[in-house]
Amino acid sequence: MQQENFPNIISLDEMRENTGGNIEKIEGDSRFISRIVSIGLTPGSTFSLLKNDGRSPLLVFCRDTVIAVNRKESSQILAKVNA
Amino acid sequence: MTTTKTIALLGQPNSGKSTLFNNLTGLHQHVGNWPGKTVERAEGFFDYNDVQYKVVDLPGSYGLSANSEEEVVTRNFIWDGKADLICILVDASQLERSLYMLADFVGIKAPVMLVLNMMDVAEAAGKKIDVKAIEKKLGVPVLGFSAADTKRYPDFLKKLDEAISHPSYIDSAGLREEMIGGNDSPVYVIEKILDDTQLGNVENIWLAVKLLENDKLVQKVVNDSLPFARRNAVKCILSSAEGREGGIATGEAKYRWISKILKETCSEKTPDKVFGKWDRIATHRIKGKIFSFVIMVVALLACMILAFPGMGIGFGLQPVLQSLVEKVGEALGLWTVVVSFINNVLVGGTCITICMTSFIFSIIFVFRILEEIGYMARFSYAFDNWLSRLGLHGKAIMPLFSGIGCTAGAVCGTRVLDTRGQRLFALVLLWAIPCGSKVAVVLFLASTFFGSAAPFFAIGYVALIFLSFWLSSLLFGKKLIPENERVGMIMELPPYHKPHWKMIAAMVGRSTWGIFKKALKMILIVAAIFWALSYASDGNVENTILYKIGNAIEPVTMFFGMRWELFVSYLGGMFSKEASLGIMSTLFNHTGEAFSLVTRVAASENLGEVLAKTISKPEALAFLFASMFNVPCVLAMGTTYREVGTIKWLATIMGYYIALSLGLAFIGYHIGLLIF
Repeated sequence: MQQENFPNIISLDEMRENTGGNIEKIEGDSRFISRIVSIGLTPGSTFSLLKNDGRSPLLVFCRDTVIAVNRKESSQILAKVNA
Repeated sequence: MTTTKTIALLGQPNSGKSTLFNNLTGLHQHVGNWPGKTVERAEGFFDYNDVQYKVVDLPGSYGLSANSEEEVVTRNFIWDGKADLICILVDASQLERSLYMLADFVGIKAPVMLVLNMMDVAEAAGKKIDVKAIEKKLGVPVLGFSAADTKRYPDFLKKLDEAISHPSYIDSAGLREEMIGGNDSPVYVIEKILDDTQLGNVENIWLAVKLLENDKLVQKVVNDSLPFARRNAVKCILSSAEGREGGIATGEAKYRWISKILKETCSEKTPDKVFGKWDRIATHRIKGKIFSFVIMVVALLACMILAFPGMGIGFGLQPVLQSLVEKVGEALGLWTVVVSFINNVLVGGTCITICMTSFIFSIIFVFRILEEIGYMARFSYAFDNWLSRLGLHGKAIMPLFSGIGCTAGAVCGTRVLDTRGQRLFALVLLWAIPCGSKVAVVLFLASTFFGSAAPFFAIGYVALIFLSFWLSSLLFGKKLIPENERVGMIMELPPYHKPHWKMIAAMVGRSTWGIFKKALKMILIVAAIFWALSYASDGNVENTILYKIGNAIEPVTMFFGMRWELFVSYLGGMFSKEASLGIMSTLFNHTGEAFSLVTRVAASENLGEVLAKTISKPEALAFLFASMFNVPCVLAMGTTYREVGTIKWLATIMGYYIALSLGLAFIGYHIGLLIF
């Protein structure tokens, strides 16, 4: 995926705090997929990023729920950031 | 004759399952383990309209995939069709997300009733849910409910009666449509290949979805029952590009199905405040940790206050009962051996059990309240970074921290962890964390022998604990939590709730009562054995069996710097920390009374003086180190056994700490010999 063509698509851990977007793609093994999907994050879901301080797990608000996602795993979630 | 119906409660964590379970069954419940598993199995009973209902509380999970032991238990129970009704609980205030459990259930041919719990919270947040409309769409009974509100239970029972007398299944057509899309979609093709295969009480669409989600158990069952050619056809699809994306595509389809239902049955306004000021502080990288620390200190203080009445009863009762027994014994002319047995085993053992379990009650109660409020998840979040270095989930912070209060109670808290490996490793670490009593004993010894240098020992102790974590992580961590199984934090931070004090107190009371009964048995047995070894008709220590054994093995124990009196005190410390001091008191002070595990005159006033005079500094160092990493106490062993489920693991953890404490004693003694 070339950055120039999709300037708005970045991984969750690269997003800034208090921004929002839609999930584009989730990568990882089926174990991770099953965990992340069952807690409410799927491609297409609208979310807002409540917290990203560069060290702690991220806090994502999606489907009325605040979800903490570890940094390493959140780099496997790609999102389209709202302009 | 009444009939018995089995209902199973299924729901995600925080869906209010245990509240419903407890309010339905009250005192008529039994908690054990699932056969061959270390997953808690809670069952209870209640009667309604001449029917006896057996309620099975299935372990909480987010869906029905088979990734953890809990999920496998849940899945197998449903798969085997053991329930007359599956009652699925969802959180109405987070309806879209929590209905995922229901969506994951579609295709299983078991009668279902859906309970939209926390309707009051949803309504307060401005959500309007048309329960009747959802019922019509799903084709199963649906109830708007609030499990914490006891006034609403008649509604529940009425609905349950209806669901039991007219069993109905969720209509899978809608979800199937979302799953399949076109005739070339993997779900469709696999469903076709499975064709007339009939496995368990599930539709083939459910099997197809689980195969695509890479569910190992379903894959095995299908592989075992399909003929070779069809098995390979399934494999081909699963390895194709679409097949590999399966888990995501099926997940999306499930949420699409949910959205469609909710679109026509619910209206909501966007919530105005989801992440308040408190949450900002509680999840802050530095402030969050300080905040958590303050809360935990307050929680531990609350534990002590709560344990106080029980401790008071235990402590207060013992001398009263003991003197009563002596008087009655005298009046009846009973042999002294009988009086001694009653006092040192029966009375003493019971009183000490009361003291110990009152601590367990307060620890479990206070931490349960914190969990119920929703604070525990924030606490776990704040410490996830630290704990993930050891390979543990942030949730482990709760049991580890509460270990400072009481190891035996904290052990029960390791259940919150998701995998057996995580639970075992947390238990190993937990045993190194000193409870209040252990800290008191260590500080008493340090100040007795080393006076003003005692603070250095306190600091050294903390450093040693962290060193032991490192050692445990080398010895156990890598094996129990392999690198490839380490999954990072993915966890919901639930909204704050008002705790239901009374209900939690009743719940914790019941489980503590269970622990008390088992503990009493165990403590009486240990106390009786010790009593037999330490009884002398003339009260002379030298005439006891223990004295003879102790003297015989002294050459060995001196290797670790412990003369026999100290070694027996060390062994007593495995029973309780107070016993360690009590035994020393008898042996060194020659108070004349037979030594006993249940002596409550913990440290007679001049014990310190006598000890400082009799015991050399190297010996003191050895005993101090041995006490620091000694096995926690008899009750902690009991609760640990309950959690690990096998003697092998209990013995492993015990062996590790005995080796560690004796090893340190050896080092301390020999360094001491060089220095002093």
